[in-house]
Amino acid sequence: MRNFPPVVSVFHTLRGETPTSAPDIRSPSRFLRWQMWQQAPVIATATLVGILWQLPLTVGPWLVGRAVDQGMLARSVGGTLQWAGLLLLVTIIGAVFGIAMHTLVVRSWLIALYGTTLLVTRKAVQLGHVLPRRSPTGEVLSVASSDSDEFGALTEITARGLSQLVAYLTVAAIVLLTSPTLGLMVLAAAPVLVGAALPMLRPLHSRQQAERTRNSTLTSMATDIVAGLRILRGIGGESTFGRNYASQSQFTRQAGVAAGVWQAAIEAVGVLMSGCFLVVLMYAGTRAVDSGQLTVGELVSFLGYGLFMVGPIRTFFEFAQKLTRALVSAKKAVAVLELTPPWREPAPPVPLPDRGDLVDESTGFVARMGLLTVVVSSVPESSAELADRLGRWFTVAEEPPPLLESTGRRWGRQARTERREQRLLMAVRDAARAAEPWGVSYGGVDLGRVPLDELRRVILVSDTNSRLFAGTLQEAVDPHNALTREQAEEALRTAAAEDVYDALPGGWAGELDERGRGLSGGQRQRVVLARAVSADPRVLVLVEPTSAVDAHTEARIAERLAAHRQGKTTVVTTVSPLWLHHADHVVLLSGGRVVAEGRHEELLTGEPEYRDVVLRTMEVAHV
Amino acid sequence: MSDLLSTSAATWRDSARDQPVLPIELTANQNGASVRARIKGLRDRHRLRRERAERVYADSRNPARGWPVADERAVVRFIAGKIRERRWSFTALVLLNALAAAAALAIPALLGQLIDRVTAPGPATGLGSLALLIVAVVVAQAVFTFAGQLTSTLFGQNLLASMREYVVETILRLPLSRVEGASTGDLVTRVTRDVGTMSRAVQTGLPMAVIALLTVVLSVGAMLLNSVLLSLPSLLVIAGSVVQVRRYLRRASICYIAEGASYSRINTTLTETVEGARTVEALGLAGRRVVAEQDDVAVSAQAERYGVTLRNLLFAVIDVAFNVPTVITVVVGAWGYWNGYLTLGQITAAVLYVESLSGPLDRLVAQVDRLQVGAASTARLLGIATVPADREPGTAVPTGPELVAEGLRFAYRPDHDVLHGVDFRPRVGERIAIVGPSGSGKSTLGRLLAGINGPRTGSVRIGGVELLELPLEQLREEVALVTQEHHVFVGSVRDNIVLGRETANDDAVWAALDAVGSADWVRRLPDQLDTRVGSGNLALTPAQAQQVAMARLVIADPHTLVLDEATSLIDPRTARTLEGSVHALLVGRTVIAIAHRLHTAHDADRVVVVIDGRIVELGSHDELVAQDGEYAGLWRAWTS
Repeated sequence: MRNFPPVVSVFHTLRGETPTSAPDIRSPSRFLRWQMWQQAPVIATATLVGILWQLPLTVGPWLVGRAVDQGMLARSVGGTLQWAGLLLLVTIIGAVFGIAMHTLVVRSWLIALYGTTLLVTRKAVQLGHVLPRRSPTGEVLSVASSDSDEFGALTEITARGLSQLVAYLTVAAIVLLTSPTLGLMVLAAAPVLVGAALPMLRPLHSRQQAERTRNSTLTSMATDIVAGLRILRGIGGESTFGRNYASQSQFTRQAGVAAGVWQAAIEAVGVLMSGCFLVVLMYAGTRAVDSGQLTVGELVSFLGYGLFMVGPIRTFFEFAQKLTRALVSAKKAVAVLELTPPWREPAPPVPLPDRGDLVDESTGFVARMGLLTVVVSSVPESSAELADRLGRWFTVAEEPPPLLESTGRRWGRQARTERREQRLLMAVRDAARAAEPWGVSYGGVDLGRVPLDELRRVILVSDTNSRLFAGTLQEAVDPHNALTREQAEEALRTAAAEDVYDALPGGWAGELDERGRGLSGGQRQRVVLARAVSADPRVLVLVEPTSAVDAHTEARIAERLAAHRQGKTTVVTTVSPLWLHHADHVVLLSGGRVVAEGRHEELLTGEPEYRDVVLRTMEVAHV
Repeated sequence: MSDLLSTSAATWRDSARDQPVLPIELTANQNGASVRARIKGLRDRHRLRRERAERVYADSRNPARGWPVADERAVVRFIAGKIRERRWSFTALVLLNALAAAAALAIPALLGQLIDRVTAPGPATGLGSLALLIVAVVVAQAVFTFAGQLTSTLFGQNLLASMREYVVETILRLPLSRVEGASTGDLVTRVTRDVGTMSRAVQTGLPMAVIALLTVVLSVGAMLLNSVLLSLPSLLVIAGSVVQVRRYLRRASICYIAEGASYSRINTTLTETVEGARTVEALGLAGRRVVAEQDDVAVSAQAERYGVTLRNLLFAVIDVAFNVPTVITVVVGAWGYWNGYLTLGQITAAVLYVESLSGPLDRLVAQVDRLQVGAASTARLLGIATVPADREPGTAVPTGPELVAEGLRFAYRPDHDVLHGVDFRPRVGERIAIVGPSGSGKSTLGRLLAGINGPRTGSVRIGGVELLELPLEQLREEVALVTQEHHVFVGSVRDNIVLGRETANDDAVWAALDAVGSADWVRRLPDQLDTRVGSGNLALTPAQAQQVAMARLVIADPHTLVLDEATSLIDPRTARTLEGSVHALLVGRTVIAIAHRLHTAHDADRVVVVIDGRIVELGSHDELVAQDGEYAGLWRAWTS
């Protein structure tokens, strides 16, 4: 029987692991079936245990009735003790199996929940940078954080529902055998009692939905106030936004009250219906006792069973609801898990040569072995695109633009559909692009013929969107735990990031927050640079590595990096003269082609376009 | 600079990495151990898990880089005060729900009478009228239930609305220096997760706990009224569970907070992995990220196991304590019946009472649980109000716009001055650029000049008045620090612009928009100034957002601007399209720019070079180049 946390190693299997069962993603219902089947032993055991847990409810009232008839009314001490003893036994069995049931359903719930989170993690690392091209980040994350919970809930309600079904049938048998008329009343009443609330559920749910919507608006207003708090405290506007928040808060309160009215009505109707039913049952029961068809003990049993049936019926409704919700969640999960990377293993795979120039066919760019080449372009995006191509990355520029101008809700759905279609198209294009020669070669070998893992080890492209992860500074600079302290210090110095070390309490053991939040943009950029430097790849491509850094520090970094990478192939895209001084070779990119190359000084004098681009960075300031 | 790394050897860890995330005791396999050893293992693990949960709880109470947390007494005082403000609706809540509970409790007694009549010798009489009486009571119960639930909703919703509005008010009053200094991450958590937890506690937890408590108390009263003999043994057994319930309640909220923290950790790690997918792929970190996620899950699983055991220990006691009274009632009832102390009706009623008591008892435990978690969140929310004010405004009024800084020293940490006696006197209307390497103190200098922080020693005066002695409203009219200005608030375009002068009329807003060149596109918006923008509404392009931010400053109209280029809207890459807007904003003001780009310095009237917390060079661009010092060297590197 499985336990939590489950072992998941499908999609991206690490060294030493054997892949676990792959989820069935042919359809949402198959996915759910797979989820449940994975845990069939746990759920089955929980069902059996659940039947025993319900014992005090299913046979308890009957035992009380027996104790009244054969003990109390029969004035038999032995009878009373016998039935009371059985009742005690049943109570204890119920308590023991209640604990077992609770343990088991938590187990099945968490296996589903953690298992889904781990599946999404493996899927995410399997897809790598292709993931954001296929699915919005929010959708991926919500599969792990909220849909996973629905799968857990389904395992719980399945076990509980099955055991309640058995309890329901048991009680039905008991009451029908005791008194067919009263038994039928008890059986018929339960669906009526549950059904009475149904017409009110719809208005309740729509009001609850309204409350949730207003509440999430309210939460985002609070988040918004916090995000802009510096402005609100620095420039002003506290009363405007305090007032906006307060009026939304009141608006939310009204929705809550409106939902509360229906909730109260449902409660009250429930009280009324079940109370009336008890009276009718009791009245009919006393008549039956009066006419001798029923014993007093049996009447007491009926009293106990009167409302029991409501429980299982509610559970069955709950099961239907949770199954529906789980199906919706399964659809979202499948949409993420069915994604596949566009790459195909090259046949036959060719190893990258140990040495050579890096050549891009489409632009004519060449990064000579062992040199620091700086790429200059008046359009920063085109340098970034070149860098992406050099490392065999799909470039961000091809992605559909984010939903910037989507006004009102009316267009929201249509825009989302269009976007989904765009993503599907892109998946097809990416696969086609991955199958053909890449158009960039290293030492004469096209990158498309090299296994991707190997390529990533040899050519490192550090783009402007490089992220830091939560952890210690040591882990940030040396994520693979492969450096000596001296090497790490050297990397930190090369990136002029000593002040980050100094700013963090605990030095190397100092903790970075998630995404490096808490560091300034310039500090983050330099830690990222230190990490890239410490990876010490054969080819290092840096995109705008010092865009958030002041001129003093930029000069220092350019100098140190050039020295540190002496004799190793390095490409930097920038237009800052502080870098250009240290370049062995400068390339000017224009209109998607290399239009000039040489040393910085030569190009400054000989190339008017180059001078324009480089000096324009200074002219911009004439504001 | 190498002295910065002086502690490197001490903090670098060669082999301590890659340790298992859980202590070995929690993961050890116990197969084959004796029963005694297994039980001991179980207890040890439970203790370890408790200690882990308590550590997480303690950390969450006092986040290392977060805002303060109020103590529990403050929470109780606060809630009590809020209830006192609503004493009438609270009284109605108690009264109506008590009536509903009382009606519910009358029913078993009446049913018992029905039984008594039927078992009395001779033909039963008056069954019909008794049944009708019960129906009347049922109807009354339904009516009171409706009214009681409704008042509790009203009470809970009103209380909640007033509490969350109070929280946002306190956030909007936070001292400027703390707002500029601290990360907002902790505040975001508080206004989202903590407000959510508090909501659940206040909105449903508090009323339901009150109702459950009422029901329990009245049930006990009804049981005693029905028969002291029958109820005392049962009540004693139930009372016996109190010890275990209290032990559970003491631990449960800590456990749930630890569980919650473990889930947010799981989500944070996954978010990092997904958002940083490219970085993960580029550096070959896939394995690391998978292991990190598995570690988070393993930690979370331990928190969950602790919760399972805690609840099991509770269930073991209450499942027995709440159900055994039925057995006792049957046995004692039989004895009492034989001796003529009790009627069958009393026994039936007692069985019904005992069985209906476990529901409210369970609910009471659950709601107290929820209230505790809510109280912990409320303590974090109220903690925001305990941040002390950073300035005491005086009454002096500046006599003019000239800014004078003298002898400025400042330290974020004791004995670590980042400024060492800076004197500085910008002329009115002058453009000044501050340049210097990162960590030189230039941003700090900017913050002191903008009146965000006060100097440790020295003074910053405007028109002869210390900046820190100006009321905030006045300070904003004198000087503004321009950072993060691209934030577009959720609200109308007008809301987004009038911040600095909330009384500004539409003409002024249009004039400001005109000045920064935005009037055209705003006029084309569907509702013009009333168009809702910001997250979830119409999205502005980055350039539009910057123009809105500049219009904001035009409306606020401070005569001095401090721009931090690293974070502010004056970004050289977009400046070309916004040249006109920027010009409109800066013209006629004193501008102090903390420059990252040398061209800003080139264009300034004077350049200040700050190194290691001191002004080392001061003069016009040409003068400094002629001086052939630090700045000149940098400039040569830039231009040659």
